[in-house]
Amino acid sequence: MLGRMSHRRLWRLVPAMFAVAGVLAAAACGDGSTTPSAGSTPAAAEAIPTLDAATKVTISFLSYNYGTPGLGGTGTQALIDAFQKAHPNITIKPQGVPVADVLTKLRTDTAAGTPPDVAQIGWSKMAEAYTALPITPVQQIPPATEWQQHTAGISQNILTAVASGGVVKAMPYTMSIPILYINADLFRKAGLDPAKPPTTMDEVKKDALAIKGAGAEGVYIGVADDSKSDFMTQSVVNSNGGSLVGKDGVATVGSKPVVDALTAMQDLTQSGAQPAVSSASAVAAFQGGKLGMLLTSTALMAAAQKSAAGKFELQTAAFPTFGSKPAKPTYSGAGLAVLAKDDVHKRAAWEFIKFVTSEAGFEIITSQIGYLPLRPAVTTKLADTPILKLLQPSLSQLDTVTPYTSFKGTQANQAVVALQDEAVAPIVLHGANPGPTLTSVADKIKKLTT
Amino acid sequence: MRSPDTVPATTATTAAPPPARPARPGGRAARGARAAGRHTVLVLTAVALLFPLLWGLSGSFKPGADVFGANPVPVPATLENYRFALEDFPIARLMLNTFVTAISVTALQLAAGALAAWSFVRFAHRGQRAVLGLVTVALVVPPQALIIPQFLMISHLHLRNTLVGLVVPQLSTCALAVLLLREHIRSIPQTLLGAATLDGATHGETLRLVVLPLLRPALGAVGIIVFITTWNEYLWPVLAAPSPEHTTIQTGLRLFANQEGPDYGPLLAAAMLATLPVVAVYLLASRRITDAFLQSGLR
Amino acid sequence: MTTLEVPTSPVSRGHAARRAPGAGIRTRLTPWAYQAPVLLSLGIWVYGPLVFTVVLSLLDWNLTSPSGSFVGLDNYRRLVDEPEFPAALGRTVLYVLALLPFATIVPMALAIMLWKRPGRVSDVYRSLLFLPVVLAPVATALTWRFILDPLSGIANVVLGDLGLPQRDWLGDTSTALWTMSLITAARFVALNILLYGAALAALDRRAFDAARVDGATEWEITRHLVVPQLGGTTVLLCFLCLVYSGQWTFTNISVLTQGGPVGTTDNVYYRLYTYAFTFFDAGTAAAAAVTIVVLLAALFGASSLLRRHRAQP
Repeated sequence: MLGRMSHRRLWRLVPAMFAVAGVLAAAACGDGSTTPSAGSTPAAAEAIPTLDAATKVTISFLSYNYGTPGLGGTGTQALIDAFQKAHPNITIKPQGVPVADVLTKLRTDTAAGTPPDVAQIGWSKMAEAYTALPITPVQQIPPATEWQQHTAGISQNILTAVASGGVVKAMPYTMSIPILYINADLFRKAGLDPAKPPTTMDEVKKDALAIKGAGAEGVYIGVADDSKSDFMTQSVVNSNGGSLVGKDGVATVGSKPVVDALTAMQDLTQSGAQPAVSSASAVAAFQGGKLGMLLTSTALMAAAQKSAAGKFELQTAAFPTFGSKPAKPTYSGAGLAVLAKDDVHKRAAWEFIKFVTSEAGFEIITSQIGYLPLRPAVTTKLADTPILKLLQPSLSQLDTVTPYTSFKGTQANQAVVALQDEAVAPIVLHGANPGPTLTSVADKIKKLTT
Repeated sequence: MRSPDTVPATTATTAAPPPARPARPGGRAARGARAAGRHTVLVLTAVALLFPLLWGLSGSFKPGADVFGANPVPVPATLENYRFALEDFPIARLMLNTFVTAISVTALQLAAGALAAWSFVRFAHRGQRAVLGLVTVALVVPPQALIIPQFLMISHLHLRNTLVGLVVPQLSTCALAVLLLREHIRSIPQTLLGAATLDGATHGETLRLVVLPLLRPALGAVGIIVFITTWNEYLWPVLAAPSPEHTTIQTGLRLFANQEGPDYGPLLAAAMLATLPVVAVYLLASRRITDAFLQSGLR
Repeated sequence: MTTLEVPTSPVSRGHAARRAPGAGIRTRLTPWAYQAPVLLSLGIWVYGPLVFTVVLSLLDWNLTSPSGSFVGLDNYRRLVDEPEFPAALGRTVLYVLALLPFATIVPMALAIMLWKRPGRVSDVYRSLLFLPVVLAPVATALTWRFILDPLSGIANVVLGDLGLPQRDWLGDTSTALWTMSLITAARFVALNILLYGAALAALDRRAFDAARVDGATEWEITRHLVVPQLGGTTVLLCFLCLVYSGQWTFTNISVLTQGGPVGTTDNVYYRLYTYAFTFFDAGTAAAAAVTIVVLLAALFGASSLLRRHRAQP
């Protein structure tokens, strides 16, 4: 049918199509004006002084907690409301986004020339954000004295851990560390004493098998994370004395401590102590009272409390160790990055960040959303609340937390996805041979990160 | 003069009573068993095809702690999930956005489609086959192949998170509307169209005064199909309107999957709210929709 | 009463139009005016982007930097050298094969069953069975996630009660693709019951009644008289399955597995989406898009040739 059409008619359409294609090509090749060369930190710019109280500014805030059903949503709204009350001249325009789409949305918004002024970015995505997005380091916005004053009461170890090149680029905001959630009722049913929770990986396996024998699932260690984040993988590997990335930034994915750590995780599954399921399924099972122990981020705390209420007794314990080696978990959660373009918006963004990371801010973050209080003063203030009692085991680990490590290069994210999808999940859940699997994935990661 | 044979011949096939069926082996009991067998197969198939709808509906009425319960009937039933979805989450806003988008796209596609379909049938210019070919091929081009340039166009025109940005690009899936309407217009008797021309009507007047009134049932059916398709559209709203205040409900559903895993009670309630309006529209108009497909000449 | 004879061939109709007053340029332009909205929207939104995608496939660009650099056929070479795209292509074919029986045999049998007993009951069944086509795909996928949760979902609970194996159906590399196909199959069955019904409605029942009088059994009638007449429809539905299986599974993949576990549920459309919006590698994504369109065009052309060949005895 196409063969017999009139050539004259067809050729009339072709110039129109090329015109359209030309416009698009010009657009693709010519849009350099609005985005500054992403990735370059502006040479220590002049600190921006305080805003005049009469200046009215509106800033946009992208948050994956905003607008979500549940505590993340209501807590974030509480923060925004409290801020606007204290700073009537600054209006916040919040935007919600599904957590898996944060980086995609930031990149596409930047491509469209309209990035948000402040964005909540997960730490596992932060390295890519630094290279691809126009981020102004948050430490360089206020004068040095103001910065010192504000951060004096924040856990110094955290600030050092998140700093990149000696400068804090994204402000620690909603931080969480892995913690061991325990279903005390299932413990007792298996003849175990919940007041003496397991402290090493071997004890975890033993207790888990006992719980499994009593009819429930034993333990789930969330290394094969659904959102393809490697923070639990890093926590487990670090605690075994290894690391995913060497001192020079080169990936050491195939090294012995990594292989051994993942072999131990595989052993949990193969012995029956751990069900071979996705992390979301394990979380649902724990909340339904069918799983004895769950090792995952403290971010789940508020939701866990809610689902345990009236059903089972919830307790917590610290990250288990590998024998006598110290536990070295790393953090997950998010930081706040400033992508605003002009000084006025940058300063307003800093005011917002300053507020939400002040004592008042962390009070709301901890009591209403469930993330860790990064200020010891807040810890003391909330010491008697149930949520803080449950968070206690991880609070003591705040001072020894290890930095989250990222792979090098523009394809670092792909490397993490490859690690989680092609090594961690198959090894831990499906019995793949740890040594060879990690070696071949290490090769792939090397190609992606050089 | 017409012979008496020809008149009954045309009516015989439609008016003749079905010839008596010879009794099938087995008698009444076997027939009853066969009927029961048929009904079983059909009911089981219906349950299998509709299982997600049924189970999701059941789960959406169960309280959070029991959402995984095995009882098909939610006892005790609760409206908490729906209340949560409607109050603590902008579901009503999302449904409104989706409705406005779907109605706009439907109106535009019907208008453009009717005009184009009319011209295919009315005019016989040599380019017709080429254009028809382009329209048919457009049906087959996968949307994923085009998303990058489409996304870039929308971004550079600053139309992201606007109604125009959501609606106008979806006009390009009008191929189905054009082809279906063309079939229906083709089935309009030539006598009517010829009479209008002889009466001095222009093409436009013929379209407006003769064709459109006859096309009303087809427009209704095709309109419903386009409405449902647009309501269910997912890929384009994700790219063109990611902000939760401006997006459609299909994209909004993803907000329920938070970092630690989906909160199933409210999620199912939201999923039901995203699905049921269209199901209601369909059930009220199912005859029209099936007729539109049946007369599309897709044989 | 006389009936008016009106010429019915397209050419003579066109001639009649041209002889009307105002013939000439205006008449020649009129058809284009009517088709303008459709042509504009297809040109700007489908064919323009298609050309742009071809151009883009020759560049290396990440959508955010000011411009891309020309790399010739590098992107295509990458597609072929790296294992992900060929694997996704293979899986796309597997999806089609898995869905074909649900696009042909199953709906055909059900449609015939309904056609043999016309009446209100059959109409009710038909309405219900078509419903999966109008259900929102995202909502349905999320509900399947709920059903298939390996530890708590109803699927494994029921299978466990029946003593059958329980698995992480979407998380296990050996079952994921088939599970995904089954989830998508519902839409094919639903739509094709209707389309087969349309074809059956056009058949002349008298031949079957005559055969029945002659003593043929129902099964013989179905097999030898009805099914062969559905051959054309079946070919069409196979083709539709080929074209739409990739797109209909796309939404499910995007919501449920994101291509995993270890790429076993990936298909070429999802791979394209991943290259574009997860890895921001616009050039490779465009190369994948062009490859898909070329393959589809080739299949389309081959099937047109086949149909023309069959039509000429």
